[in-house]
Amino acid sequence: MKARRPDGEVVELMTVNIGPSHPATHGTLRVFAALDGETIAAAVCEMGYLHRGFEKMVEQGTYQMVLPYTDRLNYCSAMMNNIAFCKAVETMFGVELPERCVTLRVILLELSRMIDHLVCNGANLVDLGALTNFWYFFNARERVYKVWEKLCGARLTNTVTRIGGMYRDAYPGFAEDVLDAVQVVEEATHEVLGLIEKNRIFIDRTKDIAVVSAEEAISAGWTGPCLRASGVDRDLRKDEPYYGYETYDFETVIGSAGDTYDRIMVRMYEILESAKIVRQAAMRLRPGPVNTSDPRLSLPSREQVYHDMEALINSFKLIYEGVRPPPGECYDAIEAANGELGFYIVSDGSGRPYRIKVRPPCFTQWAHYGDMLTGSMVADVAASLGSINIIAGELDR
Amino acid sequence: MTRSFTAPLQAGLPEAELLARLAPFGGERDPLALAKTLVVRLAREQLRAALLALRDGADTRCDQLLDVVGIDYLSYPEWRGPRFAVVYPLKSTVFRHRLALKVLVEENDAVVPSVHDLYRSANWAEREVWDQFGIVFQGHPNLKRLLNHHEFVGHPLRKDYPCQKRQKLSLNDPMHDELIAKLESLGWQVLERPEPSPGIPLGPMAASAGGQR
Repeated sequence: MKARRPDGEVVELMTVNIGPSHPATHGTLRVFAALDGETIAAAVCEMGYLHRGFEKMVEQGTYQMVLPYTDRLNYCSAMMNNIAFCKAVETMFGVELPERCVTLRVILLELSRMIDHLVCNGANLVDLGALTNFWYFFNARERVYKVWEKLCGARLTNTVTRIGGMYRDAYPGFAEDVLDAVQVVEEATHEVLGLIEKNRIFIDRTKDIAVVSAEEAISAGWTGPCLRASGVDRDLRKDEPYYGYETYDFETVIGSAGDTYDRIMVRMYEILESAKIVRQAAMRLRPGPVNTSDPRLSLPSREQVYHDMEALINSFKLIYEGVRPPPGECYDAIEAANGELGFYIVSDGSGRPYRIKVRPPCFTQWAHYGDMLTGSMVADVAASLGSINIIAGELDR
Repeated sequence: MTRSFTAPLQAGLPEAELLARLAPFGGERDPLALAKTLVVRLAREQLRAALLALRDGADTRCDQLLDVVGIDYLSYPEWRGPRFAVVYPLKSTVFRHRLALKVLVEENDAVVPSVHDLYRSANWAEREVWDQFGIVFQGHPNLKRLLNHHEFVGHPLRKDYPCQKRQKLSLNDPMHDELIAKLESLGWQVLERPEPSPGIPLGPMAASAGGQR
């Protein structure tokens, strides 16, 4: 299409679709760009190819039946979604969780953050042509998946928590397995850092590519590692601590330039910080219950069900009618691997959610992506897309 | 105005103070809001002014619009208010406080002023609410469907939209209109508008991609 540049020259713009089915889009995302030579004059993005109607489906069942759906939001760290949703419902009830449950959740959250970052950076490096790092990372990720398998039987879609606690207690030897896995992930991270951190080719491909300033990132609603890469030191684990994060010794990692290099490096070093938290949490694991004893949320034990009429009725009602949060509305969020994962829940007092709105962290990142690309080269699309970590499952819901 | 982005988060305003800030705009605490969440109801005419005051106020600085949430109260038990609500959850990167603004609109007048120029994040979030609920955001530059296909009829998150209903959707959105608008906003002048065509796909087997996951 013929067009006049802002400087007055008339050029022929070529339009290209990058995606929706492109290896570097990691899911089905579409970028539609107008090219001036090899430079992107303007780009617009589309989403929705993986839209499954999450928010409509969750209105059809009970609160407990929402949990398996949450696995399928950010499937690179399914447990984080489980925990975020359960935490939001528990906030509506105002229940306190037992200490062991909280510590287990911290371990699972941080291990999930680590493997989410492994997938994000590993795949991003593949997009840059650096395949070796991907194998290093996926080997390490496999070790964590082995722990998941032993913990709950599932690798990808875990559904490991319940509203008011956990699916079940961890198996004996869980802490040792976790510590082993953490060590493997840490070693892999150091290996990959050794390969890329001062690598000329890597730096040329990522430095000053797709730069986002702090002001832009804030106004675009960015959160999490992408916001921190732009130099804004905000992390819900530090700013609005939950699950006792204020008692763990760890640092937030921030960048300065807000380019692709910083976004990758923030994630790299966050893996190492998460490792610190997991080690401290594993030391704190003490025996105890993992489910709250609040009868509004937790199923009574089989023993009670067989001998106590009230317990039998409660068990029946919890299964068939679901847990019943008080009528009202609540927003609650956690610091997920990608940023602030929030749930706005509207309850009408029944066992079925009246409305659940997910606030997926990568939504705001993808909404801003077209603007980020203006003025970059075509090859930078593949380089920068991985660094904002778009997960179509949570983006499209 | 320069600020340090690495300074620790400062103590936020208590709920009562935030409510007092919104009192001039007719803001009232939403009785539906549960503990921990502060939701303030106000009229849609006051929405933009209230958001601006919260965003730029020296002791509020609510500089992030996290989301725009649509709610359809059609089947909410004992509900007597207008059918739809639009909720704007806000947070600050300076102070430790959060709140949400809520605007209620009637079904036959489901129009809310757009705030895309106050917060970049509002642009797509408002498109999503339009798509899912059919609430119009007046002044929005590109109020197109976001999650659903452009041939989709109806608004699926309305409570009277049947869950199992199916629709046949076929053609891709060429997106030329959006691209040209973007070019023009960047100072380009498009001299010759293209015929909508599917375009040239780069991939799925583009050599530059390096591999498939």
